[in-house]
Amino acid sequence: MTSRYLASGPLVWVAIFAFTTLLLVASTKALWLVVPLLLAVILYYMLYPIVRRLALAGLSREMAATLVAGGFTLLAIAVMIPTLPWLAAHSVSSEESLNRYLDGGRALLDRTLAALESQFGFLQRMNFQAQMGSKVTELGETFLQKELAASLLGAAMWLPSLLLAPFFTFFFLRDGRRFLKMFGSAVPNAFFERTVYMVDRVHNTARDYFQGLLKLTVIDTVLLAFGLWMIGVPGAFFLGLLCAVLAWVPVVGSVIGCIIVVLVAATDFPGDPFVVCASIALFILVRLLDDFIFLPLTVGRSIQMHPLPTVLMIFIGGAVAGVPGLILALPLAGVVSAVAGTIGGIVNDPRLRARHNFAKSLRARRINADLRV
Amino acid sequence: MLGFLQRQTEHPRIGQIRKLGLFATLKPRELWVIDDLLQERRYLKDEVIFDEGEEGQTLYIVLSGTVLICRQGEPEIGRIAIVPAGVLFGELALLDGAPRAAQARAAEDCLLASLSRADFKNLIETNAVIASKIAFQLAAELGQKLRAKGALPAESHPL
Repeated sequence: MTSRYLASGPLVWVAIFAFTTLLLVASTKALWLVVPLLLAVILYYMLYPIVRRLALAGLSREMAATLVAGGFTLLAIAVMIPTLPWLAAHSVSSEESLNRYLDGGRALLDRTLAALESQFGFLQRMNFQAQMGSKVTELGETFLQKELAASLLGAAMWLPSLLLAPFFTFFFLRDGRRFLKMFGSAVPNAFFERTVYMVDRVHNTARDYFQGLLKLTVIDTVLLAFGLWMIGVPGAFFLGLLCAVLAWVPVVGSVIGCIIVVLVAATDFPGDPFVVCASIALFILVRLLDDFIFLPLTVGRSIQMHPLPTVLMIFIGGAVAGVPGLILALPLAGVVSAVAGTIGGIVNDPRLRARHNFAKSLRARRINADLRV
Repeated sequence: MLGFLQRQTEHPRIGQIRKLGLFATLKPRELWVIDDLLQERRYLKDEVIFDEGEEGQTLYIVLSGTVLICRQGEPEIGRIAIVPAGVLFGELALLDGAPRAAQARAAEDCLLASLSRADFKNLIETNAVIASKIAFQLAAELGQKLRAKGALPAESHPL
């Protein structure tokens, strides 16, 4: 239901697009801050129901937030203590595995191109297999040497900033309502109810989006892990989880997830094209289920935008801010549309502005009561 | 068991909201939850709190001062009610975003506490017990007001 509080005209929409794009560009300049903040928001919406339960059980909000944030941090540390040495021990073998899977993928490509050449004479005359093979090898080497190394180095640089996430989460949980009250008290009385409505819309948009994203991740993990296990791909659960998390990046994430699973299937089952075909079919099936059933039921509910500007916003996000832009475009657009719609509604309401001016004159008269000549 | 972790001090506002019919059936710890949701607003005499026809988002509790409920723009001749301290108004906003039935203005300088519909809706999702107690009291108060206005028979039979 659209509220009468919201303005939606061409100017408002231009403002939404412009401001979202600006925020996306700014986010690329401060990834070290944006990533832990984003993680903290996700953790906040995960842990907030527990804090409210504890508050109802009689604990103060401060104590409940401290217990929940502290408990989560201890749990994270307990998981990381055995994981980090394992990762360090397997880092060398991980590089070998990566090369093995890339070789497996190249072998699959060679076999596919050879099969195509034997089917189509013109491809054989073009020497298609050799040409494509050398291009792909060149692309793979460039990717490994430059892009992957640079990406991993970049990620390692802002990885310590992830430690900020539990810190932010704790203060969101403990003082989130206090921040909102402080923000509300700064709003003039005339605009108070509109602001309450706006804050509610922003909160609901962010909550529905991130909780929806988590639900979608669980659904995708279960479906993919079950499907891959049925097909016989090793490490089905880990691959399912990895692909479900990669799907947080619209469009690109799912394609990368699919490529990873195909590489694993092609390497571990080199002589069995059924496994590769079945993995691709599984991905297409899960993608279709996501797009038509699960996405509208989870994340889709949060962003009350027409599909056309939604898709446009995703592409603009990708163009101006790369992968972070793809991830952030939708939640940011949802939040900005709630804020811009409300501000537009206030600006377009002469009665509200008149009430604000009247209240200001009442205050001025009160302050200057003893200063009249 | 966790008594040592519990809050020791009580906000003075809780004493006031405890006396309100809407929150009369809430336990002390449930009142803390409600108190945490309240936002205080100060209004000067004659300042408009909300207009007739405006989409209602919050319920207001008068903590000090008095509030005039009147027909839109007619504070003198269109007077409907004076709401004193310790009484709430605009409670229908908790149920839906229907337009306000009258205008509310500060009859004198006043301090109000507001509870938003958004917070009430969140309460239904997270603390259904508190929300149902409030909703039940709200329904009872609305029934009383309708009877007082003669819209319902004094002893109406269930249909």
